[in-house]
Amino acid sequence: MTRRWPIQTTVLVVEDDPATAKIIQVRLEMEGLKVLVAANGLEALEILQREKIDLISTDLMMPAMNGFRLVQEVRDLPPPKGRIPILLLSSNHSEQDMVRCLAAGADDYMAKPISVQVLVERLWRLYERSHRAG
Amino acid sequence: MQYRKDRLNRHRIARYQAWEAQLTDYLFKKGYQERGFGSIAWPDRWLFRDFLARYLSTIAGQESELLRELYLSTGIHPSLPRRLRDRDPKVRAQAAKEIAVFRLDEPAEHAPPPVAERPWRWKPGIRMEGYIDHVLPLLDDPVPFVAHTAAQTLTHSRNLKFAAPVLAWVMREELYQRERLLRVLEGFGPSLLPWMKENLESPDQSPEPWILFALLAGSHRHRESLPRLIWLLDIPNVDLRASVLKALIILADPAVYSKVQGFAASPAWEIRAQVARALGVLGGPSAVPDLLPLMADPVYEVRRNAAQSLVDLGHSGVSALTWLADDLAADRFARDIARERLEWADERGHM
Repeated sequence: MTRRWPIQTTVLVVEDDPATAKIIQVRLEMEGLKVLVAANGLEALEILQREKIDLISTDLMMPAMNGFRLVQEVRDLPPPKGRIPILLLSSNHSEQDMVRCLAAGADDYMAKPISVQVLVERLWRLYERSHRAG
Repeated sequence: MQYRKDRLNRHRIARYQAWEAQLTDYLFKKGYQERGFGSIAWPDRWLFRDFLARYLSTIAGQESELLRELYLSTGIHPSLPRRLRDRDPKVRAQAAKEIAVFRLDEPAEHAPPPVAERPWRWKPGIRMEGYIDHVLPLLDDPVPFVAHTAAQTLTHSRNLKFAAPVLAWVMREELYQRERLLRVLEGFGPSLLPWMKENLESPDQSPEPWILFALLAGSHRHRESLPRLIWLLDIPNVDLRASVLKALIILADPAVYSKVQGFAASPAWEIRAQVARALGVLGGPSAVPDLLPLMADPVYEVRRNAAQSLVDLGHSGVSALTWLADDLAADRFARDIARERLEWADERGHM
């Protein structure tokens, strides 16, 4: 199906492995999205302070601030930033982790290894849903 | 020595940076159809393998297929059988890992393609199937990390013909290591459990593999194994019963409550400790009267588990604990553990 991303839709990719971040970044840029990359949760929060972000895709295990903490910190921000849809990526497949991620306030969860096509589709669904909800 | 290491590192970083840019073009800008990836210098092939392996732990789907094709195009895979027998354990482990990472364990895919469909890279005489069989002897490797990597590769294949040797390898390990090695067995997926049911010896003769069965049934949440778990409860082996109870806690089927409750008076404290956790999970608030006698158990672990189950039950359980903590006529052990758990719950804001 066709995805029609509005111009200047910005995705924040939080990923400590630069190789994976690069792959995700290039694929999302091909969708016409503006992509910002942060290496950990702290960098992500700094970027959130100064940029308008529409979607966040974050890894779970990262140095300095992990994905759980980042989700909690974002959800503590006042709206609209506190309501940005968040997709968590994790290489840990345990059910408990999945539940913890969603309970922390993430909107969706994907277990690594991930298909980049599926990632794009999931981000689109999150974007659509958040914009329908207003 | 240091100078050489620095030089190699600089070379690696330079190659990785160049390949990263090439790779995104190859994967997403139709590079694989139009231009290919570009040539890899002969001495850089091993570096390129490591570069590709990094991606395969995070990337799946169509891209991972393209990455695998790139690996095969380097032509290093025919040396795998030789590397699996190398004198250096790191080389042996790396070769075993390579088979799992690049999925060289799928014979159906690796059979020679029909002549008309042969890609330009396909070379007659090179068959990729069969590499996984070369990994099997590494289960007896004297170096533990090599044997562990070999077991991971074999389970990663999900091929149940390797279930018996991998299970035998797990059983050769020390008892305390086995639960840790469950993670390796989990690689076979839930289909391992029906295989175990069919192929394991009777639990009366050999209960130890059935302990792994029970723990795996729990970790996979394999409800289809519930009748077999209930049947295993009748085998008079303490470790087996305790493991089955652990699995029943995870499966959380209230229908087995009365069966579990029958073990509350078991002479083995390991079983009573698991019963104390299970009753709360399976019975909910109605389990309070059955948990209270376990609060006066002579073994601390049983009392603690019973008290924790009451805390987890919420209002009804906490009321029972509060009543017990204030009842001067109650057993002293029961009062102490009730107070301890109430304080614990209060400190963590569970009340």
